[in-house]
Amino acid sequence: MDIFTSMDVSASALKAQRIRLNTISSNLANVETTSTPEGGPYKKKSVYFQSKPIPFREALDRSIQGVEVTKIIEDTSEPKKVYDPSHPDAAEDGYVEMPNISVLKEMVDMMSATRAYEANTTVIKSAKRMALKALEIGR
Amino acid sequence: MKPLEPFDSNMQLLQKVMDLRSTKQRIIATNIANAETPGYARKVFEFETQLQQALAANPGKLETTHSRHIPFSPSTIHSVSGNVHEIKGTEVIGDENGVSVDMEMIDLSENQLLYETAAQLLKKKFALLKYMVSEGK
Repeated sequence: MDIFTSMDVSASALKAQRIRLNTISSNLANVETTSTPEGGPYKKKSVYFQSKPIPFREALDRSIQGVEVTKIIEDTSEPKKVYDPSHPDAAEDGYVEMPNISVLKEMVDMMSATRAYEANTTVIKSAKRMALKALEIGR
Repeated sequence: MKPLEPFDSNMQLLQKVMDLRSTKQRIIATNIANAETPGYARKVFEFETQLQQALAANPGKLETTHSRHIPFSPSTIHSVSGNVHEIKGTEVIGDENGVSVDMEMIDLSENQLLYETAAQLLKKKFALLKYMVSEGK
């Protein structure tokens, strides 16, 4: 069904944006985490978006693509160093390695994810309205 | 006044318009979904000129051998499928993605309104037919 393909596309985007929002909240929650199970401070994570053809439609129409998060990338930059000798994770020179996360950047990213999510819900609403209008013909 | 023709080609036209507009909706949905995918090229679906050409090209009517026959003209409307072309991002901020969500939203609502217009017209046409077959009751 045609209208449902459009909904599939938007639904894939909703899922991708939700994963992005989850990563952002993880980053914000761990903005001051100095120790992780893997050792060292928490590393900022970011999502990698890739377009993907909708299943079953591939052969029919390649131009209709959804989006998906194919990988979550860990930040490789050096951790921030803060002088705090009383901290349990402090090195011998008194410096603590802190995650390299900018709260401001994360907030901006969060707003952007929210807006993208809203845009896709609008597309779903519009597809639904069109389908209902088409059904009205037979009424 | 020209008599009403219940089975005119406008019905086929409206049907085709709805079909094409729903494809356009899917392309716009693709653009909005991929608004933040790096390297994604914006897609544009166009069918208007193709449809106009199909309407202008009149392949001629089938011969009617009786004055009460309903004239039937085979149309080229059915062959209109529109085409998708990709536009590489010009206002690049580094991710080579040319989608601007606001423009897509405008396209989306315009497309939706025109789809609904076609659906409404088709509905009225059927209502008229129904009125006619029920002897105007």
